[in-house]
Amino acid sequence: MMEWLEPIQKFLGPAWLPIWTLLKIVVIVLPLMGAVAYLTLAERKVIGWMQIRIGPNRVGYFGLLQPLADGLKLLMKEIIVPSGANKFLFIIAPILTLMPALAVWAVVPFNAQLVVANINAGLLYILAMASLGVYGVIIAGWASNSKYAFLGALRSAAQIVSYEIAMGFALVTVLMAAQSLNLGDIVRGQHGEHGLLNWYLIPLFPMFVVYFISGVAETNRAPFDVAEGESEIVAGFHVEYSGMAFALFFLGEYANMILVAFLASIMFLGGWLSPVPFLPDSIVWMFAKVAFMLFLFLWFRATFPRYRYDQLMRLGWKVFIPISLLWVVLVGAWMQTPYWLW
Amino acid sequence: MSFFDVVFYLFAVITTLAATGVIVARNPVHAALFLVLAFCSAAGIWMLLEAEFLAITLVLVYVGAVMVLFLFVVMMLDINLLKLREGFWRWFPFGAGLAGLMVFEMIWVLGSRQTSEVSVAVTHAADYSNTKELGRLLYTQYVYPFELAAVILLVAMVAAIALTLRRRTGVKTQNISEQVKARKADRLRIVKMKSETKV
Amino acid sequence: MEKIKEFFKTFLLVELLKGMALTGRYMFARKITVQFPEEKTPQGFRFRGLHAQRRYANGEERCIGCKLCEAVCPALAIKIEVAEREDGTRRTTQYDIDLTKCIFCGFCEESCPVDAIVETRIFEYHGEKRGDLYYTKPMLLAVGDKHEAQIAKDRASDAKYR
Repeated sequence: MMEWLEPIQKFLGPAWLPIWTLLKIVVIVLPLMGAVAYLTLAERKVIGWMQIRIGPNRVGYFGLLQPLADGLKLLMKEIIVPSGANKFLFIIAPILTLMPALAVWAVVPFNAQLVVANINAGLLYILAMASLGVYGVIIAGWASNSKYAFLGALRSAAQIVSYEIAMGFALVTVLMAAQSLNLGDIVRGQHGEHGLLNWYLIPLFPMFVVYFISGVAETNRAPFDVAEGESEIVAGFHVEYSGMAFALFFLGEYANMILVAFLASIMFLGGWLSPVPFLPDSIVWMFAKVAFMLFLFLWFRATFPRYRYDQLMRLGWKVFIPISLLWVVLVGAWMQTPYWLW
Repeated sequence: MSFFDVVFYLFAVITTLAATGVIVARNPVHAALFLVLAFCSAAGIWMLLEAEFLAITLVLVYVGAVMVLFLFVVMMLDINLLKLREGFWRWFPFGAGLAGLMVFEMIWVLGSRQTSEVSVAVTHAADYSNTKELGRLLYTQYVYPFELAAVILLVAMVAAIALTLRRRTGVKTQNISEQVKARKADRLRIVKMKSETKV
Repeated sequence: MEKIKEFFKTFLLVELLKGMALTGRYMFARKITVQFPEEKTPQGFRFRGLHAQRRYANGEERCIGCKLCEAVCPALAIKIEVAEREDGTRRTTQYDIDLTKCIFCGFCEESCPVDAIVETRIFEYHGEKRGDLYYTKPMLLAVGDKHEAQIAKDRASDAKYR
């Protein structure tokens, strides 16, 4: 399908590969940024509706230009560096948050062909990159030289490290079912003639719940947003940030939300596969599933009050980790019997 | 010099500089962050050797978990630099001796013929999965050492918990499971009453 | 048995799903937002907004400078200077209200023996510079002159409750 590109490829010679890769990156990152911008609008709208309000509707028809207005405002604001802050780390922290959040997209498949880097250890790579995201938060909290930011950073670090374990175990069950670390192969493993019944959602349903709740905790979203906790510690790790530096944290958080939604649909909901056998597999299914998972994020935020910190830790260590360990053993045993149909 | 050589030397330089930074940095948080950088660039070098599983695990485990906990502790320290530098000359001979020993060992190991021969990276076909091969080796040929290591780690974990677990009396911690178990019916009685008169 | 039931209830997240069903239902409920510049909520005749000074029908200003409002003002927003006019009557030479201090309690209006200082229905006003919200006597009188019809009507409808 790429024959028409060959003359350009010949003309550019060795410079072709970096340019082509760069193009692919741009093609993924730009729509991602757009999705992040409009996810903020969707969030405000959905939460508004659930609170019997109508949400932003002044900037553009239906409020459609609101994200652009917000972005413009943040772009023009001054970035204030607190006098006691560690200047270098203070500036680099938002970058460290956004960088891994964008880097993970390299291995996310959108459909059978559309993926920047189809690597074997894709899932491991995603886990590693996701675990790097916490550095932005920690460094931001420490470099701000403010007690609220510091408390937020400590909370966030402990929370992310705790929930990563449960999340990892949930993913291990998927690996066992798919027998591959490649995300494309994981989706292909869910292919079958029964559509929806072939998805890993059916045998691994508890793990799906554990994964998604841990994902909400990993992205510091409500009801696990103790790292921000505006009623307790003002705004947590990003109290001291303003303008674009603050916007980068925002972008990172929402990009991570979209990523968790993508991973949940790839690993449990069959990615681009159609839920019913008589409809063709298409990238549209992928986006529909992701949109539903993102809607769940917003729904959670509109419904649940914030967890208390000690209860949050208890949920992670005393509930999720035992459940996921148990399910790993159970799936292992199940797979040895002839009743494993996936 | 090929592209791979350039990348290798780039990572090597970053690793060395970051490692120097770890011991030179005054601020312990900076030192910890330098260590993170060193880990990341070391992972890059492993990636060049097609050891993607090890590289990613290095980032996942050391950078993503161990160093986070490290930073967690280091960030909360209140360090007095003057006090730290007090005994410098007293301990200098000991430190220098240790450093000399390590240099000697490294020259001994890296300089010998046996180690220099295997340092050439082996290239594999594109569908070769480093993860699968490692898993196969770990669970067949090295299954006993692997399980032993796991048990030792478990023992260490249990020991650490047992050593630090103190049941103190008179502390006002909250019993969360008790709180979670609370039911509305146990505490709340809804009484329906008629209003006395119509307004 | 009860305990087992509770156990399954917590593990199947029944309570959480109940909560989500509630918010999900409200998502489709009729919205109660009032779209402000186009739609407005109804105002009562006792509405306490921007202050005004009134005049009698013959154009004479009502205020006699008794300073009761200045004394009663809990936010110390009113400042009054009084002098004798050429015709021998007692009048204010200065009557300022600092609207940034005012808490719109309506005590000034209550205390006024001649219904000179009143609070109108106007609540959409603003200042662009520092000091724009410091209303002096001519400004207050101008507000009163402009809205006298509405002010008089509101006083008349409130009169039977006093």
